Amino acid sequence: MKENIFNPKISRRRFLQAAGAAGAVGAAGIGQLPGFSTIAKAQAKTEAGKSGETVITKSFCHQCPARCGIDVYTTDGRVHAVFGTLDNPLSEGKLCPKGHYGQYLLYDADRFKGPMKRTNPKKGRNEDPKFVPISWDEALDTVAKRMNDLREKNESHRFGLIFGRGWGATDVGVLQSLSKLYGSTNIGLGHSSMCSDGSEETKKILDGNHAYNAYDYANTNYMLVFGAGFLESFRPFTGNMRAWGVMRTKPAKTKVTFVDVHLNTGAASSDRALLIKPGTDGAMALAIAHVLLTENLWDKPFVGNFVDGVNRFKTGETVAAVFTDEDIRNRAQAKEEAAVKKAAADKVAAEKAAVEKAKTEAAHDKLIKAQVLAKGDPAAEKAIAEKIAKFEKEEAKKALSKETDRMQREALDKDKKPEPEIKAGQALFNQKWVLGLPEWWNAVLKDCTPEWAEKITTIPAKIIHDVAREFGTTHPAIAIFERGAHAHTNGTYSGMAIHSLNALVGSMFAEGGLCYQMKPPAGKWPVNLDDFMDDYAKAPERKKPRIDMAKTEKWPMVSNMLQEVAKNHNAAAPYKLDTCMFYMTGPVFSGPDCTAWEKMLNEVFVISTTPFPDETAVFADLVLPDHTYLERLQVADTYPYQGYPISMIRTPAVKPLYDTRVFGDMLIDLGKRIKGSTGEYYKKLGNTENIIKGIASIFAEKPGDNGVNSYETWKEKGVWYQKPYHWRQIRGEFYEWDKATQSYSKPMTQEAVKVNLLKTPSGKFEFKSGYLEEEHHVHYLMEKFGLPAEMIAFPQYLPSKHGGGGDLHFVSPKLAMQAEGRGANLPHVTACVQPTQGGKRTVYLEIHPETAAKRGIKDGDRVRIKSTVGAIEVYARLYEGIRPDTVALPMIHGHWGMGRWSKNSGVSGSTNEVTPNVSDAISGQCCYHDAKVFVEKV
Amino acid sequence: MAKWGMVIDLEKCVGCQACTVACGMENNRLPGEMWQDVIFYSEGTYPSAQLKWFPRPCQHCEHPSCMAVCPTGATYKTEDGVVLIDWDKCIGCKYCMIACPYGVRFYTDEKPLVAPDMRKVHESHDEHSWNPPWKMPDAREDWKHGVGIQPHDVVSKCTFCYHRISKAPKGTPDLDPQDPKLREFTPACVVTCAPGARFFGDLSNPESVVSRLIGDKRGVRLLDELGNKPQVYYVTGDGGAVPSTRAFNKKS
Repeated sequence: MKENIFNPKISRRRFLQAAGAAGAVGAAGIGQLPGFSTIAKAQAKTEAGKSGETVITKSFCHQCPARCGIDVYTTDGRVHAVFGTLDNPLSEGKLCPKGHYGQYLLYDADRFKGPMKRTNPKKGRNEDPKFVPISWDEALDTVAKRMNDLREKNESHRFGLIFGRGWGATDVGVLQSLSKLYGSTNIGLGHSSMCSDGSEETKKILDGNHAYNAYDYANTNYMLVFGAGFLESFRPFTGNMRAWGVMRTKPAKTKVTFVDVHLNTGAASSDRALLIKPGTDGAMALAIAHVLLTENLWDKPFVGNFVDGVNRFKTGETVAAVFTDEDIRNRAQAKEEAAVKKAAADKVAAEKAAVEKAKTEAAHDKLIKAQVLAKGDPAAEKAIAEKIAKFEKEEAKKALSKETDRMQREALDKDKKPEPEIKAGQALFNQKWVLGLPEWWNAVLKDCTPEWAEKITTIPAKIIHDVAREFGTTHPAIAIFERGAHAHTNGTYSGMAIHSLNALVGSMFAEGGLCYQMKPPAGKWPVNLDDFMDDYAKAPERKKPRIDMAKTEKWPMVSNMLQEVAKNHNAAAPYKLDTCMFYMTGPVFSGPDCTAWEKMLNEVFVISTTPFPDETAVFADLVLPDHTYLERLQVADTYPYQGYPISMIRTPAVKPLYDTRVFGDMLIDLGKRIKGSTGEYYKKLGNTENIIKGIASIFAEKPGDNGVNSYETWKEKGVWYQKPYHWRQIRGEFYEWDKATQSYSKPMTQEAVKVNLLKTPSGKFEFKSGYLEEEHHVHYLMEKFGLPAEMIAFPQYLPSKHGGGGDLHFVSPKLAMQAEGRGANLPHVTACVQPTQGGKRTVYLEIHPETAAKRGIKDGDRVRIKSTVGAIEVYARLYEGIRPDTVALPMIHGHWGMGRWSKNSGVSGSTNEVTPNVSDAISGQCCYHDAKVFVEKV
Repeated sequence: MAKWGMVIDLEKCVGCQACTVACGMENNRLPGEMWQDVIFYSEGTYPSAQLKWFPRPCQHCEHPSCMAVCPTGATYKTEDGVVLIDWDKCIGCKYCMIACPYGVRFYTDEKPLVAPDMRKVHESHDEHSWNPPWKMPDAREDWKHGVGIQPHDVVSKCTFCYHRISKAPKGTPDLDPQDPKLREFTPACVVTCAPGARFFGDLSNPESVVSRLIGDKRGVRLLDELGNKPQVYYVTGDGGAVPSTRAFNKKS
């Protein structure tokens, strides 16, 4: 059957059916026109109601970490619209689709209405907790008693607080203070390893910044995207889309090459979509680097060059570190040969010039003779005089031209750098702002040809070649990567290969390149924490290993290791938690091999702080619901954006609808109940508003560009910011912004660059990473990757170790519509969540038609996805836009405890029920896109 | 009198559906009742398959088929060129839904796309079909112009945010949402469109940005051969695409 793409809902038959159904009252009788049986009476006339004034409150969005400024429209106490704030740098009046759901979350019919405790002692996926409402006092007293008891038993480390999205001082800041004062290293276990630590760690290794980048998209001319959903999930999404509008329509249109495993909206919008074998992005990046070097396309001012300007990067050939005696001899010989050649050429030129001169003189003589002959004939005399004048004028012109040429040549020669005096033993390559390029070439790059990469990536060598040439010749160019590329066991090394491209083309800290986000200033908190640390908190025993074993011998290089918590708890290694509080995270759904969490949550006392039902709350002993964001007073620094500092504030649009409490105040009220000086500290601190006032106090001396200079003006505008970014690299030199001249004109010392920008041991961009070469890292890495010590420090391709045991790669991308953790229970989201596959009630598993046919799967069939850790069922969608060796299922549906709308999603469980718990040994990045699965018809 | 029209630049449109959602919340639409739908389709074969899309609001035709078939005169065209439905006159016969070649009309009492039914969760106890707590201010509701929470048994569709544009200062050539003075009069989808793919203005004014865009970038209209003469134009650059005739019918 063919379907009308404009109106798939209405066909003639469906029209008649629908009409019949709606007209149940009359029931279409014989002789009646079918359509007319449905006619209802026209509606009664209505009159417009009356409304009070509309108030716009400033806040910032909560649907992803980007923090776009929002205007919240409230009339008669009812929030009815959310739009981007026009004078906010992150939104500039715009929003992504998620941003418009704020009021829906506020009024979500499934919200928790106040604190509750569990009365059903049995816990499980299908156990009703039988919550009963309790007072905040009872709730907080219960938690405080557990905390005080643990402290008395010397076991405060068994109180854990796990958080996902942290906003800033009023939530993360408070929990960090509690961790110190109460004395538990497990308060504040972050989720970054399940987010995108692979990206941050890569940058630390190469340029010393453990951070995401800020990008100058509006001025870039080439963008190479590896596994980042630039137009779906890469952040800040609204900013990316605004930049896209500029990039794609500016006079020199930004060319975009998009590398992914399936055709998503970003890939489809680009100039070139390359569907790469999962986990092999690093190989393609190395091949691009190979071409940039062999074809002399690297940025000399930033990277440096061979001392004599001769490119020795030749495929398969190593580059010597220093000039040898033989080099010097060869050089001298070459010089001599050149001199001989030049002398010969000069001689030829001189002879030619002499002949020219003789010719000219002869011509002149001839004219003079003619003049003598013409004497007496005025007409002839005049004509010959004119001829002579013309001839002399032309000769003068020629002479002048020659003289100008000579002077120009002289001037050029004066500017010419003297031929370098090269001695044996001198470095062959003069590295400007990079370290280890020749070594990297010799150890890795020399053999990484496009042909080599084709065999690994399946991307044709010619295309890799084309991309490399474009990338190397279209400045400024940016290479971006995210989880698609680095959520694999080889993720950090692949990320290093990709990020190195930014250095090779000189885009680090350049206009149209990338930099790092500056932190905004923050005033002091009203109470000094150090004054309240008691002996218990200061005791060395408090330095127990965290339960996630981050920063221990097991995971020495990571920031966090949330995906290990349940595993470690269940194995009682290093110990078991007693009580665990959750803020803005639900690893029992979103963690890899997530069912391990069900066992842990069964054993510990669980405190959920979510305003909404979720899977963690199903296991909760206590629910202490937070405000939704439109009810909150809360602050945050910006997500990396354009580099200059931004500080945001949320102000409540309405009074809290229910008996909820903002998380930071909940913690402070809990802290007040802890015995001893901890309690005293929090009593003095009072509430989060005091913290915010303390932070804002600095704006008096550092007013924002928009005039924000106090707590009140901050709330009024919703944002403080100060443009521009402070530093810039221009043609291989670094400059600081000069306020007086409004330009990047203050030259920076090498030391200043190291302190502020390239924070590596060498103060340079390190292709040979000093951080990885540190002694305590080398041995760990040799063991984990089976590499010889001398290879550890370089960006390189290592095959990923795919878990799961299946035959198809499995990826679980995030979609544009997916609100932060809540989309599955928002019917408005579900109704259009996966437009590329027509996912309007569910999300479909994207599968290539051939792959499906081999398994007897037809479009729309129910299929089972299986791996070594579990199985889930979904509906299949045949799609020519996905690799035949890969299937993709968006990570959104499959919830079993989230609310009434999430239950009927058509996806039987979380994508994480089939995703094994495998991590990158360097960054600790959870390898979400690394699994291999089986797919079969149900 | 203005003749309001919209230009959508498909080279900029990234298919994010912010228009769909902004419209849905601004106009209190039910899940799936997408006045500002974005239609996706794919063609071709791996590894050179194509994924394409185009937003599809009501085209506000100069010659609206829906209006011609409406038996009660509920569908009408305003003086400023907008096609609207008077819910006080609509009897829900759906003739307009069949007549509209663009599929932009929605009947209130369809089976809910996503269960449970939102209309039951946020039930109305008066003449409205439902009562969401985030609904627009009471004073804005205007059934004569198809604005607000609709009653049962009527058809609804995009109004070009008539409650906003009808308050714009007379003679304004373009409603630019980045101009603080005009922002509140601009349709919600245009206000929020992050890549700036949507433009809204007076087609009868040859100096307006929309008129110039249509001129400079060779604006096209959907199903132009039908003669409806939409007031929504698409410009395609070399990035985006409106479906060619062969793509109008895709395999289901």
